Amino acid sequence: MEIQMKMPDLATTGSDVRLVRWLVSPGQIVKRGQPLVEIETEKAVSSVESIATGLLKEVRVLPGGMVSAGQAIAVFEVATTLPAAADRISESAASSLGAVPMVLPHYKRAFLLSLYERMVLIREFEERVRFLFLEGTMAGTIHQCQGQEATAVGVCSALRANDWITSTFRGHGHALAKGLSPQELLDELFGATTGCCKGRGGSMHVGNMDQGMVPGIAIVAGGIPLAAGMALAFKMQNSSQVVACFFGDGAVAEGAFHEGINMAALWKLPVIFVCENNLYGASTHISKVMKNTRISDRAAVYGFRGQTVDGNDVVAVFEATRHAAADCRAGNGPVLLELLTYRRIGHSRRDPCHYQPAAEREAWLSRDPLLRFATCLEQQAAISAAELAEIKARVDHRIDEAVQNAKKAPLPAVEALYEGVFG
Amino acid sequence: MKRLGIAEALREAIMEEMERDAHVFCIGEDIAVPGGWGGAFTVTLGLEKKFPDRMIDVPIAELGFFGVAVGAALMGMRPIVDVQYGDFLFLASDQIINNAAKLRYMSGGTAKVPLVMRAPIGATGRGAQHAQSMERFFTGVPGLKVVAPSNAYDAKGMLKAAVRDDNPVLIFEHKLLYGSRGARAEPGATDATSDIPEHDYTVPLDKAAVRREGSHVTILAWLLMLHHALAAAHTLATEGIQAEVLDVRSLAPLDYETIGASVRKTGRVVIVEEGPKTGGVSAELAAGIMERFSESLVAPVTRVASPDIPVPFSPILENTYRPDVPRILAAARQLTLPCAGLERSPLR
Ligand SMILES: Cc1ncc(C[n+]2csc(CCOP(=O)(O)OP(=O)(O)O)c2C)c(N)n1
Ligand SMILES: [Mg+2]
Repeated sequence: MEIQMKMPDLATTGSDVRLVRWLVSPGQIVKRGQPLVEIETEKAVSSVESIATGLLKEVRVLPGGMVSAGQAIAVFEVATTLPAAADRISESAASSLGAVPMVLPHYKRAFLLSLYERMVLIREFEERVRFLFLEGTMAGTIHQCQGQEATAVGVCSALRANDWITSTFRGHGHALAKGLSPQELLDELFGATTGCCKGRGGSMHVGNMDQGMVPGIAIVAGGIPLAAGMALAFKMQNSSQVVACFFGDGAVAEGAFHEGINMAALWKLPVIFVCENNLYGASTHISKVMKNTRISDRAAVYGFRGQTVDGNDVVAVFEATRHAAADCRAGNGPVLLELLTYRRIGHSRRDPCHYQPAAEREAWLSRDPLLRFATCLEQQAAISAAELAEIKARVDHRIDEAVQNAKKAPLPAVEALYEGVFG
Repeated sequence: MKRLGIAEALREAIMEEMERDAHVFCIGEDIAVPGGWGGAFTVTLGLEKKFPDRMIDVPIAELGFFGVAVGAALMGMRPIVDVQYGDFLFLASDQIINNAAKLRYMSGGTAKVPLVMRAPIGATGRGAQHAQSMERFFTGVPGLKVVAPSNAYDAKGMLKAAVRDDNPVLIFEHKLLYGSRGARAEPGATDATSDIPEHDYTVPLDKAAVRREGSHVTILAWLLMLHHALAAAHTLATEGIQAEVLDVRSLAPLDYETIGASVRKTGRVVIVEEGPKTGGVSAELAAGIMERFSESLVAPVTRVASPDIPVPFSPILENTYRPDVPRILAAARQLTLPCAGLERSPLR
């Protein structure tokens, strides 16, 4: 790839500078930071450093010539770097990625079916909640995860029962994947005392301390230092537990992300930082808010391992998490997993998603994690469509029941208002 | 003259100020995305078409972009920066409190920070982290002006005044007052529309407003609670109690002149605040009134506020948590009775 080097603005008065001589000649390999050319301003003779590592192909200004700031002075040929994740997966590129078949390692049938059932449970749960919400049965606001089932299920199925997760405002899928029941979640959304947070938390704060899930932290990135702290406790207690910390692409701009992962890296804490990169933070595309859109790159600069994974491939997510957890338990943590995925629905209630371009949406919907997994199960594990349909029917029935119960679930007594602040 | 809600009035104010002064710009999350929302509550909807270079979408980095806004203000720009929910001000507060509010003073008066900050507050069925009444945390910060408009006329006029002010001004808006129809019709949404004149106007940042005159008891409130206070005053009138309702609206500095005039007239004060009672703005108001006007008081100052608990999600609890008209009525009735069970004493 060719890049141009422009003259930096070095003159304190803003006037042009005179190029004295080149310190390297075309055809030579130069390193970023190496002095390239000598220049003279009204105050001094100094040199300008190369902005790139690569082959100097051509110089555009000859010795003695005048140069103004911003003018192209040299052309380099540099090694092509991997395009950032978003560019590869965004829009039309997504369809080619969808053509890459999921490959099933030799798993037991029952395990494969359990992954599938959990993903269906999340999808159907979210669809039902959406309905209840639009119908006006349910209060508050919701942030749903249709399209992101493989990230939640892939990660949580690679954890042990006594491992922990932290979640966000978009936590229904994480909760179901970690083993919370649809009933305790629905009851929570209905504000009932039988909800997983006794009706005090609501949709944005679902969790269950007996199931290894801290109530969702609805402050973007707020769960990241928290997870590092949980892992510090595991380490101090000589426990082999790990924590998987879910957050979105939006969170990596927050100071809390950088502060949290730096400490985790420094102290080799057993945290799997799970970034669900769905290309958008609320309505804003990642390309608008970060220059390097490959989020897993953030790990290396803090001195630990980062990996970008197809987040719509439940098996790939499972494998990546399994390895990350093993690293953590071996004392080689943390690990940053960037899971590429896509949100099929609005950011929160009533968001019509007008900012998602049609071509991008279409490409991603064709790589739906459930559809892909179903196809893969039929083709590679000889699981019949009838078996899959049976799973869906079982899940539907379970949700029907849960909805009926939730509608009759006991609401808190107003006298209980003051309870629960201190223990 | 036209009828606008608070969101539209704020939008008009921003647009007019940006037209008037090229130094004014907006910076915040999701404020200018084509096909997007115009911020979390549609205030800046469509402005990116008119001012493509002065509507800046940012990464989710409150400490960062508030700092950026302070820096730009320091160099002569006039930023309008917002958070999607007031609760996120905690992330930005170092830049607001340690930098924006103190730079003028620390520089011996040579630096200025003409910064406008906007933050929606209020409990609205979203749980504990998207609900807090944040005024209390910022009213005691020297160097910071804090206002809280309760209707569209004030919202427009105060935002304009804030843009033209050379000091940092934090504007609190209430989620249930942005509009009460269409997409914004959420439970509890209250009509705060006003007639907006065609001409340019500002509303001072340091004046309370008398919204209803009365001689028996003064009710002090702002934002949503002001609307509840007015509803309560209406009912009290049918019982023979004439309540004077003041929209405190300027929370820092407090306008003790207007407040004092009312207290001298009625001798009784009820302060209504949506946030928890302990450490609230109402605590400051009560102390300030006692210090200044104790000789006029015929009864102790009374407060109606939320209990000292995080905002609960369950709607039944949230509705019990948030002060409402019956609680204001009860406080006002209590205050206008010298002793429970006895005839009401002659009111002053
Ligand atoms: C500190 C903070 N700032 C802003 C918000 C408002 N907000 C809620 S979700 C969201 C977008 C988050 O995007 P991302 O992290 O990518 O997660 P996703 O919604 O895609 O799951 C924003 C801006 C918030 N909750 N917390
Ligand atoms: Mg996202």
